[in-house]
Amino acid sequence: MTDLFDQLSAGDAIQGEPFQVSRDTIRAFCDASLDYNPLHLDDDYMRGSFGRTHFGGVIMHGMTNFGLITRMLTDWAYSAAAVHRRLETRWVSPVKPGDTIQPHATIMAKQVTAGSRWVTLSIEVRNQREQKVAAGEALVEFPRQAASV
Amino acid sequence: MDASFETDFWKDAQLRKKWDDIVPGEPRKTMPYVLTLEAIQRYCRSVGDLHPLYFDEEYARKSAYGGLVAPPSIHILLMFSCTPADDWMRSPGTINAGQSWSYNVPARPGDTITLQARALDKFIKKQRLFVVHDNVFFNQHGAVICSGRGWTIRPQ
Repeated sequence: MTDLFDQLSAGDAIQGEPFQVSRDTIRAFCDASLDYNPLHLDDDYMRGSFGRTHFGGVIMHGMTNFGLITRMLTDWAYSAAAVHRRLETRWVSPVKPGDTIQPHATIMAKQVTAGSRWVTLSIEVRNQREQKVAAGEALVEFPRQAASV
Repeated sequence: MDASFETDFWKDAQLRKKWDDIVPGEPRKTMPYVLTLEAIQRYCRSVGDLHPLYFDEEYARKSAYGGLVAPPSIHILLMFSCTPADDWMRSPGTINAGQSWSYNVPARPGDTITLQARALDKFIKKQRLFVVHDNVFFNQHGAVICSGRGWTIRPQ
């Protein structure tokens, strides 16, 4: 059982790995997720307008952000015998080939319930210009006894 | 990838429900899917996640998980593998505005996974057509793997 929970404080930061986005990584995500929406594949289609939105070219799947955030959270949680329990995200701006994005998390609070111990985190993904492309919140459980998974 | 999966999302576009046709509360058609280790690892590689719980059988067997598992975010793949080609989530131009997911037990290679899914709500905001969908994935033992809700902007 880990004692990491006791050592954590609001404001503690966690950083994920940078991820370089290219047409190849977007295509690989199409094949891995089975999401072949032309938003991610078809430049001609993406030169059109989507209501009030104009992208001007193919964009990365929003859910790639989700996968990268998950990777950051599970790398952290697995090493502390903790369990990633929840992730809520919203996409703030599109990510395009050539961008490099990196997820970040900050501990907001700790809470102890009748059954377990919990950490809430705020989440951001930022690009190479330090622009926020995704935001959200996560919940990680630190069981008092070895996790039953 | 399953050779029968239709990667041309335009092909069945006319069969899919438009925003006007989607009835909140009405179940979506779904189908069981056998999750393979190959599919798990393909997904992991696509986000650069090479954790040994997904790749190293010996490591995973000795861990608290007792064997290889899929990362929690595997529902990204399951959403498309558990729904048919005429599902409205495939409509070209569908924009994902955000999602929230809760995780219970991990999915594992060899699991037969089922999905219960429906539109939960639809609304118009800033001239955009939104649909909220909710989803629960189960394993072959009836245990919840994860449950989640998503907000999509529908093509006009």
